[in-house]
Amino acid sequence: MSHPLPSPLSLFDRTLLRFVQNLVPASERAEWLRAWQAELWHMHHCGRTRRAGIFRLSIDLSIGLVLDALWLRTDRWRLRFSGTPILCIASLLGLCLFSTLFALVLYAGGHVLGLHLGKQAEHCLFAAPLIIFVSVARASSNHVEPISTGKRIHWLNRQFFFALKTLLVLLLTFLLSVDVSRPGYTLMPNFADLFQILFFVIFTLLGLRWSFHDQQQRCKHCLRSLATPARVGPPSYNLLEWNGTEQICKEGHGLLSVPEMETSWRQSSQWIDHIPGWDRALHPAH
Amino acid sequence: MSTPRLSHSAALILKALSLGYCFGFDVMEVTGLPSGTVYPALRRLERDALVESKWESEQDAADGQRPARRYYQVTRAGKAAALAVTERYPLLARLLPEKHS
Repeated sequence: MSHPLPSPLSLFDRTLLRFVQNLVPASERAEWLRAWQAELWHMHHCGRTRRAGIFRLSIDLSIGLVLDALWLRTDRWRLRFSGTPILCIASLLGLCLFSTLFALVLYAGGHVLGLHLGKQAEHCLFAAPLIIFVSVARASSNHVEPISTGKRIHWLNRQFFFALKTLLVLLLTFLLSVDVSRPGYTLMPNFADLFQILFFVIFTLLGLRWSFHDQQQRCKHCLRSLATPARVGPPSYNLLEWNGTEQICKEGHGLLSVPEMETSWRQSSQWIDHIPGWDRALHPAH
Repeated sequence: MSTPRLSHSAALILKALSLGYCFGFDVMEVTGLPSGTVYPALRRLERDALVESKWESEQDAADGQRPARRYYQVTRAGKAAALAVTERYPLLARLLPEKHS
């Protein structure tokens, strides 16, 4: 819908609006444009604004409209990517890149770092299988009951995502251990290698623990992080009835029920697929 | 429901809206904040349901020979939040004058 202005905006304002509107998500573009046309019009025609201040104000409003458009764009991305596996993998990749750049600075160049990484990688490759074994053994005690886990493609997606995430966690913990142990090579050169392996073991144990926990807290279909945790049952009735936490998938694919403590009637978490009627509740337009 | 914790600038903007300054340019003028702070803050306040916006009617705008403005008004939750921030930052009440339309 077009809204003709009583008098046209300046060429600068019109050009700026034309360029910046591309940053705004398409569904909000018309309203954004209308709001900013009105704001800019009022700035130029407001009697309270002195002529001397018009230029400064014009620049200020130009910055404001760009930041407003950027806010709408980033907010849309936040809603779209929040909790998604893509964001998880991208964040881990970003952290790996950051650690590598930091290591490049610490070791003053790629050649020295390359030689050092090659040597340390050999040590860590021996330690990694043992840590993975311990983490897997620890994680298997709080698994999700494999009932109604859906299609095979979902299972493959979950395994692929978990493998990729774990691989990136291992890479990140290795790079972090190299970064953190760097000062040791000048302070205690004889023990620096040992420190690096120790850091690697600690970081990897923590990282893998997070990786398993994160996997459990994701939807078994779309792999988005589960949301809105709700307490169920009074904890004081621990031995009389079930109590724990329930989390749902924002897309309505299902619900994860996590018991507060293991009991004979509920030893592990339970994934409940797609409750009938959720589609209507979560996507009323469909 | 607990009131959300607001930054100084968001509190100032909310206070200005609760005093009757109801569109972006007006808020900018009275608070002295740059537009790069005011407009994104208004979006955040609207997302958090502390303020709501509506368009001025085309008829009113045409009568005034100007384009319709987007007006913001404080919701019930926003009023509670404005009250809470005034208690938290007492200086806010003295910084902003009440609007006389």
